[in-house]
Amino acid sequence: MTWRVVVGTLLVVATMIIVAFTAINEPARMADFDAGFEARSIEVGAALFESNCMSCHGITGQGIPGVAPALNSADLFNGTRLTEVGWTGALEDYVRLTVAGGRPLASTGTSYPQRMPTWSQEYGGPLRIDQVENLVDFVMNYGLTYAAGTGAETAAAAPAAEGIGANLTDPALPAGDAARGEQLTMDLGCVGCHVTATVGPAWLADSHPSGTGIGTRAGESVTASDYAGEATNAVEYLRESIVNPNVYLSTGFTAGVMPAIYADSLTAQDVADIIAYLETLK
Amino acid sequence: MAEIFKVHIPFLDDVKEKGLKDALVAKTDESVERLTAGMNIEAVRSMLRGDPVTRPNPRVKPHADGFWLHMRPTYFNKKVMPWYPTFRLGFLAVYFLVVETITGVILMFWYTPSTLVAYENMLNIMGNVPLGLMLRDLHKIGAEAMVAIVLLHMLRTYVTGSYKKPRQFTWHTGVWLLLFTLFLSFSGYLLPWDQLSLWAVTIGASMSEAAPPPVVGRIVDVLVRGGPGFGDIGLLRFYLGHVLLLPILLFIALGIHYYKVIIHGHSLPPGVEADGEDTARKVPMGVRDYFMPDVMTKELYWIALWTFIIIFAVTVGNLYHAPLEPHADPQITPLHTTAPWYFLWLQGMLKLGDKLIWGIIAPTVLLGFAFVLSYLEVGPSRRYIRRRLGMSFAALTVAVFAILSYMGTPYYAVSSSPDQEVMAVLAPQTHPGPLRGTPAEELVVGEYSTHAVASVPTAGLLELMELYEEELVKFGDDLPDSEGLMIIEDWQVGLKKITLRVLWNGGERAADLAVYLHADSNYED
Repeated sequence: MTWRVVVGTLLVVATMIIVAFTAINEPARMADFDAGFEARSIEVGAALFESNCMSCHGITGQGIPGVAPALNSADLFNGTRLTEVGWTGALEDYVRLTVAGGRPLASTGTSYPQRMPTWSQEYGGPLRIDQVENLVDFVMNYGLTYAAGTGAETAAAAPAAEGIGANLTDPALPAGDAARGEQLTMDLGCVGCHVTATVGPAWLADSHPSGTGIGTRAGESVTASDYAGEATNAVEYLRESIVNPNVYLSTGFTAGVMPAIYADSLTAQDVADIIAYLETLK
Repeated sequence: MAEIFKVHIPFLDDVKEKGLKDALVAKTDESVERLTAGMNIEAVRSMLRGDPVTRPNPRVKPHADGFWLHMRPTYFNKKVMPWYPTFRLGFLAVYFLVVETITGVILMFWYTPSTLVAYENMLNIMGNVPLGLMLRDLHKIGAEAMVAIVLLHMLRTYVTGSYKKPRQFTWHTGVWLLLFTLFLSFSGYLLPWDQLSLWAVTIGASMSEAAPPPVVGRIVDVLVRGGPGFGDIGLLRFYLGHVLLLPILLFIALGIHYYKVIIHGHSLPPGVEADGEDTARKVPMGVRDYFMPDVMTKELYWIALWTFIIIFAVTVGNLYHAPLEPHADPQITPLHTTAPWYFLWLQGMLKLGDKLIWGIIAPTVLLGFAFVLSYLEVGPSRRYIRRRLGMSFAALTVAVFAILSYMGTPYYAVSSSPDQEVMAVLAPQTHPGPLRGTPAEELVVGEYSTHAVASVPTAGLLELMELYEEELVKFGDDLPDSEGLMIIEDWQVGLKKITLRVLWNGGERAADLAVYLHADSNYED
């Protein structure tokens, strides 16, 4: 019996020491946990960005002219943009509010004719509150690039090489690479309107009322009686739609929605690749 | 008038009479006697020293007059005091029930049963509440231990034949206790509202849907989950079941169970009595071990030991931590979802075929059999040698449950696409896994192939690529002529994107998995 009393007492003392030791280290452990949690939240946010935001805001958040503004850019984090829109609160709240609620209307005076969709389930969007938080953490993490002064600003919005211009036959298109074209349509955000949503005519056969893809319809449209453009074949028709989108509009769509910037910003190779890809969408 | 307000303190009279010191000693002695319901200081000291008992025995008074000890016997038979035959399992089960109650009540202060904040509550408990992580880990380790100990206690009772006459009803209440313990543990599973919670419980709860006829199944399912899937209502139901209904039922059943244990006395080891005889109630003078001090010190020692073990395990020992997976998402089913380990046998049975037969009828029959076993098996002998059939049955049952549990794991008869399996080995959905466990600085930006494993720049990457190659070889039949790529890119400050791409049929088929990894995410721990 005596050894039990002795060992039992020692065990109680040992337990108390362990708990005290743990309690002393709690502030450090909790700080560590919070940092780890913040980091994991950014990871989750990155995955959500890839599946929900990338098609409009660009793969690396560099923004897509005419579709959605840059998030990976200095003006968002140095206060310039907040001043422009007249926001007096914290940037993080601005980002959270925008992600959660989107924009009820397209912002006037900008080159973004579409409204940003609502994302939070609170306002009828698809994402849970914690997922909105993950996205906010991810977007805010772009700020480190600029705070750290790494000069990575130049990485955003790479300047285009020689633009293809608006002529449909000059320069002649080089051979197209459909795989690169598909990647381009994602990088440039084309899929945001033509695949994910149907702000523009749907590319995929499943999403279009005719049941045919853009590759098939291009050939049909160019010979249709109401066609008013200058193209004489499917390739030229697609090229025209990219470089000079307002010449001829598909039924039900209005002028000015598709940005008329690609004649300057895309090279002949880019356009050839995109057309090669679109032609595969029968 | 003055008389009404006259204050009379008897203690002052004592001081006047005996002097301050003697009066204080007498008062203390009296207080101790009141607190212990009958033992003064001298009796307590004599008890702790283990002095022989005096007549009348003051150590029985707390059992007769006090509330807490009236539930405990004054003495036990010496034969039931060693490890064998009880292994202290019943005591331990109650110990863990107390641990669960204490830690559970404290955790309730930081928990709201709502799908909007339940998961956030977990993060708060783990990252913002001092000792919160320890409490949560203790609650979880206690829950797992309690289930295991109750099962072992049941097995022990069966093996020593302690369920036989006159203890049939004690066994019966024990099966209820097992049932409540399982459901308590299971209902607690849902509360953190992570992927593990949602899917483990979904597997269990969806079985209720198979209850016949279909209309009943649908109603039961809706009653359990509060709707076609788990949401706020289902979470609230599980929460209330976990913190109110099931504990109440468990404590009631425990009261009855222990009352019966005391009424019949702890059954003596098999073989010390003649067949069919039960002498446990009468404990002759010579073979008594009094509760005070022998049993009490043993129990206190046992409490100190186990408290030390579990607290050590979840703190400085770092041996066990309650898991927390990503936020519950009904849209994303993790690659391999399993029920809690004590329900794996059920998941295994479900793989045998029909949900109604294996998911409802078979478990119901098994449970029903457990409930009435003590009334069906009425062989008089408790000696092992005369219970060959019974012992074989016990061994067979344990073996069958072990095999069924194995069958419940993803290792048995689960078909999924091999390319996903390979990538899931490196970056599983349900726990961090080797890729996330690799320190960020070891993941150097670049593109690596399993065809050129030797050329990777760091040891951590080498380990990963070797594992990658090994897995592709293992799935060689399904993924002929395969190559595994790992593309590491810088994505943001501190954040890397790692793309796993499995190519097979010589590059004709491919599958991708993207993993984002932050330098501070601490998965190594």
